[in-house]
Amino acid sequence: MKNKSAVPFVVLVGGLVSGGLYAVATRYPTMPLAASVQAGHVDSAWNGLLIVEGAIYAVVMAYLIYCLIAFRAKRREEQGEKFDRSRGRFVEVAWITGSTALTLALAALGAHELRAIISDPAADIDIEVRASQFSWEFYYPQFKTFGDKLYMEKGKRHRIILTSKDVIHAFWVPEFRIKQDAVPGKTIPMIITPTVMGEYTLLCNQLCGRDHYDMLAIVSVVEHEEFEKNMKAEF
Amino acid sequence: MTEFFAAFVAGIAVFVAGYFGLAAPLGPQAACVLGYLAALFVFLGVVGGAKALRTYATGVEPDEKHGAARYFSFDVDHKVVGIQYTAAALVIFLVGGTFALLMRLELARHGLQFLTPDQYVTVMSLHGITMVVVALIATAGGLGNFIVPLQLGARDMAFPRMNALSFWLLPPAVVLLLASPLLGGLDFGWTAIAPLSTQGTTIGKQMFLLAFVTAGFSSIFSGVNFLATVLTMRAQGMGWARVPIFTWSVIASSIIQIMGTSVVAASLIMVTFDRVLHTSFFNAALGGNVLLYQHLFWYYSHPAVYIMILPAFGAVLEILPVYARKPLFAYHIVAGALITITALSFIVWAHHMFTSGMWMLLKLPFMVNTELISIPTGVVFLAALGTLWRAKIRLDAPMLWALAMITNFLIGGLTGIPLADAPTDLHLHDTWFIVAHFHFTIMGGAVFGFFAGFHHWFPKMTGRRLNEALAKTQCALMFIGFNAVFIPLFWLGNHGMRRHVADFPAWMDPVQTFASFAALLVASSALVFAYNVFSSSRNGEPAGENPWEALTLEWNAPSPPPHGNFKTPPVVTREPYDYGVVS
Repeated sequence: MKNKSAVPFVVLVGGLVSGGLYAVATRYPTMPLAASVQAGHVDSAWNGLLIVEGAIYAVVMAYLIYCLIAFRAKRREEQGEKFDRSRGRFVEVAWITGSTALTLALAALGAHELRAIISDPAADIDIEVRASQFSWEFYYPQFKTFGDKLYMEKGKRHRIILTSKDVIHAFWVPEFRIKQDAVPGKTIPMIITPTVMGEYTLLCNQLCGRDHYDMLAIVSVVEHEEFEKNMKAEF
Repeated sequence: MTEFFAAFVAGIAVFVAGYFGLAAPLGPQAACVLGYLAALFVFLGVVGGAKALRTYATGVEPDEKHGAARYFSFDVDHKVVGIQYTAAALVIFLVGGTFALLMRLELARHGLQFLTPDQYVTVMSLHGITMVVVALIATAGGLGNFIVPLQLGARDMAFPRMNALSFWLLPPAVVLLLASPLLGGLDFGWTAIAPLSTQGTTIGKQMFLLAFVTAGFSSIFSGVNFLATVLTMRAQGMGWARVPIFTWSVIASSIIQIMGTSVVAASLIMVTFDRVLHTSFFNAALGGNVLLYQHLFWYYSHPAVYIMILPAFGAVLEILPVYARKPLFAYHIVAGALITITALSFIVWAHHMFTSGMWMLLKLPFMVNTELISIPTGVVFLAALGTLWRAKIRLDAPMLWALAMITNFLIGGLTGIPLADAPTDLHLHDTWFIVAHFHFTIMGGAVFGFFAGFHHWFPKMTGRRLNEALAKTQCALMFIGFNAVFIPLFWLGNHGMRRHVADFPAWMDPVQTFASFAALLVASSALVFAYNVFSSSRNGEPAGENPWEALTLEWNAPSPPPHGNFKTPPVVTREPYDYGVVS
């Protein structure tokens, strides 16, 4: 193969690799169900990264495969070519400029979605989430109700107010995406707006001791009427 | 004798604690700390430190040991220390790999199989910390100690006795770690996040902290030594623009070892104080700050991954031009990139803390700083990919390992960006996505890079060549097995698989079982490797001075190099990668 075939080869094979990656990602979605407004923002940042990175991966792999086919030594005594320094300098400058621009663009996308997640502290419903080894407890101050199951109302902004009695725990519902540690000595708020009704699992996501694996709770996203009904009963 | 002394000192400490009526949990903990410190000094003295000090004081050289005994003594020759480090790294790698297999066995299906939850966490913690030690010492400590002085044209390291000391600090640390399951185990992973690590009275936890601090001192000494060696002992004519890239990478990682390790040692000593002396650095109820620990810990422990990966970059970039038969592309810029990574590595630590509850706007600078690291890392890739262009590639085993490392690290690097990106990290943090990511960088990058360097320099270290067919088989098995284990785990992490847990929902079974079977491929590659090293180091083909036709100085010395390395001090008259023909 001549060097002239490099660009068509990389385009073709890179296209095939990224097409394959796209097919796999469609068949097996890279993220679980998105069940909150915040999940939409996380997924938007994620998808942006996935597209750019999939393309980078495909092009680099295609280039590597090309080099391994086109530039193999047939006899051991063969030697490669020395560079033309000035052309090398051009590639270096172009590479660094390009990667800097791409990095800053990705950082800007991330910052944009981060702002959407953390900027607005307003909430409709407060829920105090108290973590301890190895259980969760929920308190609804507006309704003066306690429970060991987390009820949330579809479409409302919930302020999850996290505290811990002993060591660090973390609040994570994969379908809601965003995650926050519960830290002893601190009170940390986090806004979640569920959008899809159903039952989910709240997982402790910070190693907190021997039964960490089993520190789970049920999360139930319900309509307004059922939420109100549950708030009246001790559950 | 060491044990008797330790027991004696421990006894005194318990007696004193009892005399003052201190609470029972305090006594044994404090006694263990004091007993260990005493035992450590006695051990270092007995193993040869005392003799080395006497030699230093009197100026009389001791009789040199010969044969295998050298490798079990406090030998100050950098080549012996290099082989000691390499062998130690491989032994610990086997131990840590066994822990990994135990975990994969437990995780083969949902529910608990043969480990209780706390046994699982102990095994996981030990896998983590032993592999951290391996990744820290294998390339820089093992290959670096052997090769760096040779690449510089030096007789030895700048501080040979300190070199031996930094190696001999490791065995006590490792023994202590492996003893901890017998002493109650540990439940806090390798990160020992407070306040989980300050609570509980099992002695295993305390042993972990002491082992970590001991290994930390080893790392600091080694960093100082490398830096002094490169600064003062380069051959005549070796300006900074002629220092081989592997040595550049060891400079970079040494700077991090010196600047970072003392901070993590301090934070672990603070945890020890919280445990033993009832201080309250990290106890919120008594006015301490829980997040402080994470800041101190990650201030070192993020740069620590660059201690692991930079020498692997260096080894791979050292190897590529030799087997591509052309100069290293962008050589001067990539040396600068390694130093840039070093500098940036100290302003990114809080990307481990996006979910920790620190001030939310801090997420932004740490996110951007972290993503900036992809620019110098991109330059490393530019050098690797550019070197292959119009090359004449010889696909010998070291080259195969180097190419495998590049493909692995491509995945490792790209999957790091969603973790640096604050919004996506809020989902991915502490899931198996990050487990898969750092295995791709540390196992796929640092360990594959170590194996590339090991295969490249084995002829220099032993005078014999490894069996090529076995080396390539090992590379293929490990590459396929490793990728098959960890690629599905990215996906599983995104879908709710947490770190640090022995149990998971039943629907994850097919993926987990697949990963467990694939782990057997990795294990089998280790057996191939062990056989290859044993048989080739005895019966391998004699290598000669320069089997790969490389140009750096280590290939001017005999294989293996004699005491003092070079017959006449070498003089450098050209760049280290002057391969190829002018087109």
